[in-house]
Amino acid sequence: MQKPRSNTRQNHLKLARQITNILLERGFIKGDHLPESTLSEACGVSRTPIRSALKLLENNNIVKRRDEGGYFLHLPPENMASEGLSNLEETEDSLAVRILSDRAERRITDLQSVSALVRRYEVPRSSVLNALKILSGDGLVVQLPGRAWAFQPILDTPNALKDSIDFRMSLEPQAIIAPGFQMDSQKTRLLRQQLEEFSQRPNGALSAAAFLRLDCAFHSFIAESSGNRFAKGALLAHQRLRLSTQKNHSIPDFRLRQSLEEHLDILDSLERYQLQLAANQMLVHLRRSQIRKPQAVNRGILPMGRGAPA
Amino acid sequence: MNKPVIALFPEASFGSALNCVGIAQQLQRQGSTPVFLCHPGFNGIFAEYGFKEYQLPKNTGAQHQTEETWQAFVSTHLEHFNQVPTAQLTTYVGPTWEAIVDTAIRVEAGLAQLLKRIRPDGIVLDNVIMFPAIANAGMPWIRVVSCAETEIPDANVPPYLSGMAANDPKRSAFEAAYLNTIRPMHQRYNTFRRAHGLPSLPVGQFLEPSPYLNLLLAPKAIRHERLAPLPGSSFVFLDGCIREEAQFEPPSLPVNEGPIVYLSFGSLGAIDTDLISRIIKVFATLPARFFVNVGGFLESYQQVPDNVYLGSWFPQPSIVAQADLFIHHGGNNSYCEALHFGVPSLIMPYCWDGHDNGLRAVQTGTGLNLKRDSWTAHELKETIVFLLSDTEMVSRMSTISGAMKRGNGTRDAAQAILQRVKL
Repeated sequence: MQKPRSNTRQNHLKLARQITNILLERGFIKGDHLPESTLSEACGVSRTPIRSALKLLENNNIVKRRDEGGYFLHLPPENMASEGLSNLEETEDSLAVRILSDRAERRITDLQSVSALVRRYEVPRSSVLNALKILSGDGLVVQLPGRAWAFQPILDTPNALKDSIDFRMSLEPQAIIAPGFQMDSQKTRLLRQQLEEFSQRPNGALSAAAFLRLDCAFHSFIAESSGNRFAKGALLAHQRLRLSTQKNHSIPDFRLRQSLEEHLDILDSLERYQLQLAANQMLVHLRRSQIRKPQAVNRGILPMGRGAPA
Repeated sequence: MNKPVIALFPEASFGSALNCVGIAQQLQRQGSTPVFLCHPGFNGIFAEYGFKEYQLPKNTGAQHQTEETWQAFVSTHLEHFNQVPTAQLTTYVGPTWEAIVDTAIRVEAGLAQLLKRIRPDGIVLDNVIMFPAIANAGMPWIRVVSCAETEIPDANVPPYLSGMAANDPKRSAFEAAYLNTIRPMHQRYNTFRRAHGLPSLPVGQFLEPSPYLNLLLAPKAIRHERLAPLPGSSFVFLDGCIREEAQFEPPSLPVNEGPIVYLSFGSLGAIDTDLISRIIKVFATLPARFFVNVGGFLESYQQVPDNVYLGSWFPQPSIVAQADLFIHHGGNNSYCEALHFGVPSLIMPYCWDGHDNGLRAVQTGTGLNLKRDSWTAHELKETIVFLLSDTEMVSRMSTISGAMKRGNGTRDAAQAILQRVKL
């Protein structure tokens, strides 16, 4: 049976991201030829999907096709990690993404019927069902008995963000100290490179959206490395949820840089295999990442903290 | 040589706190070590900008008290924000001064202890009331007036919190009513001052001018021509006070066309979710993009229109810089940011100096003033359309912005502070 079109698109997008990671990791520079055979071997897929992924990268000015044959890297590698991927992700404007974005921005309620979505997006019923299937695959919606679909909790409000951080504070340090923690050294190197590149940007050029992607990549990597399968599964699913639904809340440049340094310090400890120290650093990092702004303030009254009733 | 340590003590409001962040960023750049004294509930905010914080001690049971107090505050005062300034004197201004005096008394001992511990070289006080611990600390202290200029009285300046013109025939009646309202709190405050070795202040005054330096956030474009000019030796006007802040990247909206309008009534104004919901319904009918700061109350909104984006926090300088119109409550920081970036204001005041800035925007052709609750959808829509198309105002705002950007209020503030501290 033929795969749905948007699933194929998602796969090409994933492959495109994988290719950019490989190019970074292997030290490709602007203007380098990108042999399909090399990429095919590195990604473990045939040349056909590699060509589709390269086409996607070409549409985003990351690579260029030349008449003399093949694709060439068009973007300096230092820009590829954030800008290139950023543009790439912006192209993924599938219906599923639009629905999720509208839910996160409170344009649609958490209970939806297929008919209502067909009316809103003016697309065929089959497209809506396909989009819901994609979201369902990521655990973002569930089909209720009958015809309704219900969105699961997402990171769309300050209170939801607080719950998210509380959840992560209870689990991420445990994911590190659970027996069997093991990091992939190549991925560690790549992640470190991306963190360092980002932190070298000048003040005012630290994109909140790019930081969120890098942050999710870092915490997903920690989860992937965990020796506890359940912690790993729960945290990876949560990072996917963050990436797809967390609004880019603005963080002052100082805190953003501090957060990047904390990521690097945690990586240092993990590479020295000081797992307990890394777990403690993770707890401090998450605690510092909590939103601390009061909900409301006025002269003469102690500020209204988070969770206080209005 | 040790760097001078400057302790900044803003009142517990975002306007004041973030105004001080801007000054602290420049103090740091000019070679001093700024630190913050913060009220409970504000800890963490200054650390995010890289500054050391010292928190005032929190009373036992304060959290419980906070929740109850806010419940009572919202149910009592929400309707008062729809009143005219004269009516608000007894319903809102009086109780607020009562609470401000309570705060000054409550934090006095903790503040004195903190100052002994830190031993700063200078103190920057951005508040509306004096704390005896500061005057008694034995080091230069600087007063920042980040509210409207009306806080420093003069015959040519409108009466504080009145929303009326300086020559309004009802001026003396308002002033008499104001003094009458605050007299009991003022007497209590003076008793407290005397108990801590400070002289009483004249009725109506809760904070004396600093003998060292007073900084007024009053850009030239909206400044009043005083009958008795303030002495330049101890009063410095700031032409803006913009902090360095994160960049806001406007997300793409389902309907992503037209000018950008930003709305923020501050964290207190965000409590009135019914009002903001009414406004959002009007936004849905306009060909523009609207970014709305709903503070901590995002969960109160559903069915957000396709040309509207709600956020619980925006890095205001960045979004105002990108906006074509700024709808706000007349908070002085918001108004000055609008001037700095050349953006017309639509001011919908709900209390305090918002009334004064609401009138000032009309007087100076830098915006319009709309009463908070009594507008019709048609009226609000027409006002927004007018402000977005008033080329004369846009041109005037551009000139004001150019002049303000040529200066640098935070740099001037930091220079003046360090000069006084080193005396």
